[in-house]
Amino acid sequence: MKRKKWNYNLTIGLILTTIVVLMAVVGHFWTPYGPTDMNSMLKNAAPSLAHPFGNDNFGRDILSRIMNGMGTTCFVALCTVGIGVVFGTIIGAITGFFGGWLDEIIMRLNDALSAFPSVLLALIFISLLGPGRNNIIFALGILFIPSFARIVRSEIIRYKELEFVKSAQVMGAGKLRIIFVHILPNALVSMLTSATVGFNNAVLAEASMSYLGLGVQPPEPSLGLMLSDAQAFLQIAPWYAIFPGLTIVMIILGFSMISEGLRVYQAR
Amino acid sequence: MGEKLLEVKNLTIGFPEETGMRTVVDDVSFTVGYGEIVGIVGESGSGKSMTVQTIMGLKNRDAHILSGEILFNGKDLLKMSDEELSKIQGNDMSMVFQEPMTSLNPVKKIGWQVAESLKIHTSMPDDEIHGRVVEILANVGLPKPEELCQKYPHQLSGGMRQRVMIAMAMICWPKLLIADEPTTALDVTVQAQILQLLRKIHMEANTSILFISHDLNVVKEVCQKVIVMYQGKIVERGYTEEVLYHPKHDYTKHLIASIPRNKEDIREDELVMQAKDLNVYYSVKERGMFGKKENKHVLQNVNFHIRRGEILGLVGESGCGKSTLAKCIVGLNKNYTGTLDIREEHPQLVFQDPYSSLNPMKKIGWILEEPLKVHGMKDKAKRKELVSQMLTQVGLDPSYADRYPNELSGGQRQRISIGGALILNSKFIVADEPVSALDVTVQSQVLNLLLDLHRTHQLTYLFISHDLNIVRHFCNRVIVMYLGEIVEEAEVEEIYEDPKHPYTQLLFHSILTDERKLQKITDVEQSREDASANGCPFYHRCMSRSDVCREKRPERINLNPEGQDPHWVKCFKYQS
Repeated sequence: MKRKKWNYNLTIGLILTTIVVLMAVVGHFWTPYGPTDMNSMLKNAAPSLAHPFGNDNFGRDILSRIMNGMGTTCFVALCTVGIGVVFGTIIGAITGFFGGWLDEIIMRLNDALSAFPSVLLALIFISLLGPGRNNIIFALGILFIPSFARIVRSEIIRYKELEFVKSAQVMGAGKLRIIFVHILPNALVSMLTSATVGFNNAVLAEASMSYLGLGVQPPEPSLGLMLSDAQAFLQIAPWYAIFPGLTIVMIILGFSMISEGLRVYQAR
Repeated sequence: MGEKLLEVKNLTIGFPEETGMRTVVDDVSFTVGYGEIVGIVGESGSGKSMTVQTIMGLKNRDAHILSGEILFNGKDLLKMSDEELSKIQGNDMSMVFQEPMTSLNPVKKIGWQVAESLKIHTSMPDDEIHGRVVEILANVGLPKPEELCQKYPHQLSGGMRQRVMIAMAMICWPKLLIADEPTTALDVTVQAQILQLLRKIHMEANTSILFISHDLNVVKEVCQKVIVMYQGKIVERGYTEEVLYHPKHDYTKHLIASIPRNKEDIREDELVMQAKDLNVYYSVKERGMFGKKENKHVLQNVNFHIRRGEILGLVGESGCGKSTLAKCIVGLNKNYTGTLDIREEHPQLVFQDPYSSLNPMKKIGWILEEPLKVHGMKDKAKRKELVSQMLTQVGLDPSYADRYPNELSGGQRQRISIGGALILNSKFIVADEPVSALDVTVQSQVLNLLLDLHRTHQLTYLFISHDLNIVRHFCNRVIVMYLGEIVEEAEVEEIYEDPKHPYTQLLFHSILTDERKLQKITDVEQSREDASANGCPFYHRCMSRSDVCREKRPERINLNPEGQDPHWVKCFKYQS
């Protein structure tokens, strides 16, 4: 009873994300204007043909700054999710498979960590480590570990009693091989879906930390930082806030649709 | 008799697909007369379930009725409004499902569930309804019906739940009872009781029964007429005896074709495996961080051996410890005391469920290659070569290496499982219900494969099954387990011809064979409280028990004279 339906979530998500990635990659090497070039003639200039997204309070081209800042934002988000996925997978896989007191201790630590609002915890980390791009990656990364660990753990527990795992045991495969070669590929789709959700959260977290002045430091552009700066000029130059905001929406929409699309794809 | 109660005329049902309509029920016509029992036989996918679900109004929304009519008492069910239908469903016509474990609502009391359809269809006062519920529960052979009304489904055994289901179906005295594989999920002894109950209902209330099953022996036991369905079509119909003893259609002949017989007689004395005073535990951990580990005693004082080259059958009801023993032998459960001496490297296990025993994310080639990789075979070309050889040996094309498990049928998957067990050149295979999840015709193919491999590779099998007909044909010796103990062990013919232990007698009398042995069964579902922990495990169901059985556990004794193959039995009847 196979019936294929157009997976529009996945398609649109992939298109949006491709645009984002393209812009970020291009923005890393080339932007229409220098992202930090100031021009006192164009202070708070409205969008025009030469500057389609307008200019900010220093006369910098907003499109160039967005293209450049997206790279920073996405880099932070990717690294954060990376830390979360790698350590979360290792912790979740091992605790889920072996169980026992180690599982209890680590999962209770996990509970404790997720009981605090994550932004609050990130603030504490940053105030200990000092602001900056690498520190925010580190702080957010640690906060992302528990949720991944929990997802991987529950997947491992779901699969570890199944017969194909038992038959791997009977043939003499080692425990680590069973976990990483036999079971984990089955958890891949749910890990991917949660990684995309995690990526969104990381984009938002980076934006809010930078907005608070604790993340990426000026003059390096980042979407959150731009939003924070735009606040003061909301009345006279609304485009300064609107375009970075729309970019964040586009990144998140793209990834959310991919993750929903993957979920549908998995359910088949 | 003779009057038509249900008449299905030219029923055709299909599913819309991209390529057009896929027909699952094709021009099916049959009748069920008043007081008749009609059986529909077929394999999964034959359309038998779809047909009865449509009659019952439970058809899948995606399915389209392309043509035909279903006349019940002369009126077409397909043309009725929902309101008219609901007056018939559950009242004049009711259904018993296959899965007694999931067909009852777990959060409602038994009394409430049985009463519900009376509440819907009649305006009886509550106390009268209650009286009727108690009456029907007693009628289907359930002890202490008053107490039972207050119980929840999880407090009942599978057999008792199926009786409750039948009580629910019978409470409004329906004219037609549809039973969809009502005994498939049950143990042999329970199956025999349920069939007996259905016959009793039929005789007392003159209810017509439409009986769906894949098991010809079951159909033979209860049905007067039988319809054989294959790929959505009716291929043969007639009186049961005639169809089963003189089948005309090739498919029916195929279906009836007997189980492959193992003709070899093993006379080797070398042992492959020996268990002495084996006690196996299962650790159950209480919830929470400091929960104590509790050891459940699953197998008690198990003694047996397997000779090289033989096929040893292991039979018993579900929950008797068959699978625990299998896991213990292949090393999945190390929590045991006593000696387990296995003289063959890497005993392998073939699992029951071909759908969960293969990793869904890996290709067949990878699955078969994995054991070789794990055992350190570095040469990739050699591994691929062995995989193709193994695929050929289990009767599949080497190109199957590139497929994923979900592209294979159940029988093909089971062939892969067998291949995976053999690829390390293991000579000792534990097969845990290897064919019970398969269709009848596929069963005999897989059994044939097992027999071929047994011959060509000089294998030794421990063959676990609840299907006593297969065991009789397939095995050299049989051990019978009851609640974690081996109660009897002997040569296959000896034990089938002359079972000694009361449990074995009950079990083998439940086999549905030509001579209607069924009537002889008197099984008792007594409360288990009166058995003491030290007594014989079978005490609460035994028909020939005495006081000593309650106090002590019997030791095993050999009934055969020295020099012959032993016939072990654990029962006080023979101890003197």
